[in-house]
Amino acid sequence: MFFSYFKDLVGREVTVELKNDLAIRGTLHSVDQYLNIKLENTRVVDQDKYPHMLSVRNCFIRGSVVRYVQLPPEGVDIELLHDATRREARGG
Amino acid sequence: MSWAGPEDIYLSTSLASYLDSMLSLSLSFVFALLTSHSFIYDAGKLLVLLRDGRKLMGTLRSFDQFANAVLEGACERVIVGDLYCDIPLGLYVIRGENVVLIGELDLEREELPPHMTHVSVAEIRRAQKAEREATDLKGTMRKRMEFLDLE
Repeated sequence: MFFSYFKDLVGREVTVELKNDLAIRGTLHSVDQYLNIKLENTRVVDQDKYPHMLSVRNCFIRGSVVRYVQLPPEGVDIELLHDATRREARGG
Repeated sequence: MSWAGPEDIYLSTSLASYLDSMLSLSLSFVFALLTSHSFIYDAGKLLVLLRDGRKLMGTLRSFDQFANAVLEGACERVIVGDLYCDIPLGLYVIRGENVVLIGELDLEREELPPHMTHVSVAEIRRAQKAEREATDLKGTMRKRMEFLDLE
């Protein structure tokens, strides 16, 4: 369910916060079944703390290390999510 | 002691090919994910961030659906404050579960901010040790102060 949700968000600008507190902002390029994420035009929110990330433009993030994905407000359709979660809860 | 007779090898290879065909769907997806849009494989250098905070750089030679990866000409970039050092490691096989992020390095951009200076391996090890001792000291100080029940 979240896979298809994220697929709809492809092309949007998102901020991915990782479990090691690194937060990366970038354009969502693609996502797969494990919620691995590929970002383009990335920039790290706290540049000074992570100088080694300066020259990284595109990156692949392993789904298991993601803590949050901050979405653009217009990317959240609450009605749609309500329906999807209810359908999931009913088991089909 | 031998690990496997000829028939075992046959079994294991057929099992492997079976599993391979089962996985080919997701594998091809990840493959498409990683190779699409100028992404890596034969071309530029990569930065691999590991779960313990280590930063490895090298050329990607292979990977699979778990993000297991083979890096050729790998080196570890150690950064302590404004000092940095690249320690050559050689060929590295990285287990996928330890991977946090795989980033494509843009060679046209400055790799690091200009105020950072390159130092030797010995120097960076010294700096690392000093930093570790400082954090340890901070930890013990905090522990000793705990009885004060601050906050």
